[in-house]
Amino acid sequence: MVRVEDMVLVPEGSFTPFFLKRDGTNSSSVPTTSVQAFWLDATPVTNHKLQTFVHKHPDWHKANIKKIFSDSHYLEHWQNQQGTANTADLDKPVVNVSWFAAAAYCEAQDKRLPSTDEWEYTLTDNDRNKENLQKQIMAWYSVPNKELPAVRSKPANGFGIFDMAGLIWEWTADFNSYMAPPDSRNSGDKNLFCGSGSLNASNLGDYAAFMRYSYRESLKGNFTGKNLGFRCAKDAK
Amino acid sequence: MKTNLKRQLLLSLLLACSAPAFAEEHEHHHHQHESLLSTPSTDSVFNITDSWTAADGRTFQLSNLGGKPTVVAMVYTSCQYVCPLTVQNIKRIERSLSAAQAGKVNFALFSFDPQRDTPAKLTEFAKLHSITSPSWVLAQGSEGAVRKLAVTLGIKYKKVQSGDYEHDATISILDSNGVVKFQADAMNKNIDGAADALKALLH
Repeated sequence: MVRVEDMVLVPEGSFTPFFLKRDGTNSSSVPTTSVQAFWLDATPVTNHKLQTFVHKHPDWHKANIKKIFSDSHYLEHWQNQQGTANTADLDKPVVNVSWFAAAAYCEAQDKRLPSTDEWEYTLTDNDRNKENLQKQIMAWYSVPNKELPAVRSKPANGFGIFDMAGLIWEWTADFNSYMAPPDSRNSGDKNLFCGSGSLNASNLGDYAAFMRYSYRESLKGNFTGKNLGFRCAKDAK
Repeated sequence: MKTNLKRQLLLSLLLACSAPAFAEEHEHHHHQHESLLSTPSTDSVFNITDSWTAADGRTFQLSNLGGKPTVVAMVYTSCQYVCPLTVQNIKRIERSLSAAQAGKVNFALFSFDPQRDTPAKLTEFAKLHSITSPSWVLAQGSEGAVRKLAVTLGIKYKKVQSGDYEHDATISILDSNGVVKFQADAMNKNIDGAADALKALLH
């Protein structure tokens, strides 16, 4: 079922996830996290692709979306009478989608949402051109897009994946995780994040990661956002 | 750039650190009385159709809990402290009901841990906690089913390297149509709010 040409096999590897510890130290002392090889969509899912899905699965049409699966802004940028995407937007990444809609789309393609670890690992791009990437990310975080460009408007990263930074925020399967270090024992300890207060802002990489993790932390499954979309993944097996 | 960043950061912090939005914002929902097999109302968790396996081996969907209010929590049996306390507090809610009332309520524990919490393990856990009433169900589901239920109930969790889970401890009360009516911190010994919310559904 997977149209392999639209997906890229991201090789196994490891990265240092962002953890904020209670004493305000950054992640330099945290062990790296390994990620198995997996397939990832080369680009975020476009309006065109989501429209094809909605056509086949009318439960996810904006007129039929169930309240438990989305807030009231679901696909609100699809403004024509049929509740379909504007022609000019077809190649743009789809936004205003809840986690439930994103997960349902991926399942229908026999795929799944990427884990946060997979997504973050893909973003680090094995630290190729790290400094430049971080500058690019911070520049985008401080001045978000006024209007979304089409996917693939900028070159792919070293893995061959497009639009990891500079286009949209993306759902992950386990966005509702804790920013907990892997060795943490204290179940349900929210102080790991909220009690820490200080952040070493001189490390831009940590700062950007902190923003991504805290953004995810602020989401709920039925939320939608004007800059929040997704792409799908699949096990390498 | 800096001011803008700070503002965003502050916003994320506010959003992230605010207490879980426990269902105090009760909207007015007008639910029609529906038979169990009909389409659930659009804000019902019964719209989730994943299969679960109960401790006795039978499979079910969330909608099978319909017709009665349900007290729901997510736990895992290898959990040393938080989960036993959660179970204790749910039992205190159960004890606050009359026998007649208690028979009109489901108590459902969904496991975070698909690998270890087999039906046999769940049966053992039930025995350990003297859970004998047929009103209780302990369930194992796929990783995807667990994630979807947790997202729906607003429960954060993460599997850590030891195989254990970091997780929110939340007790949710669903009405007979599967709509979340009340949520509370499962660590809170004061179960009055949950008991009252449940009793209000038994009228």
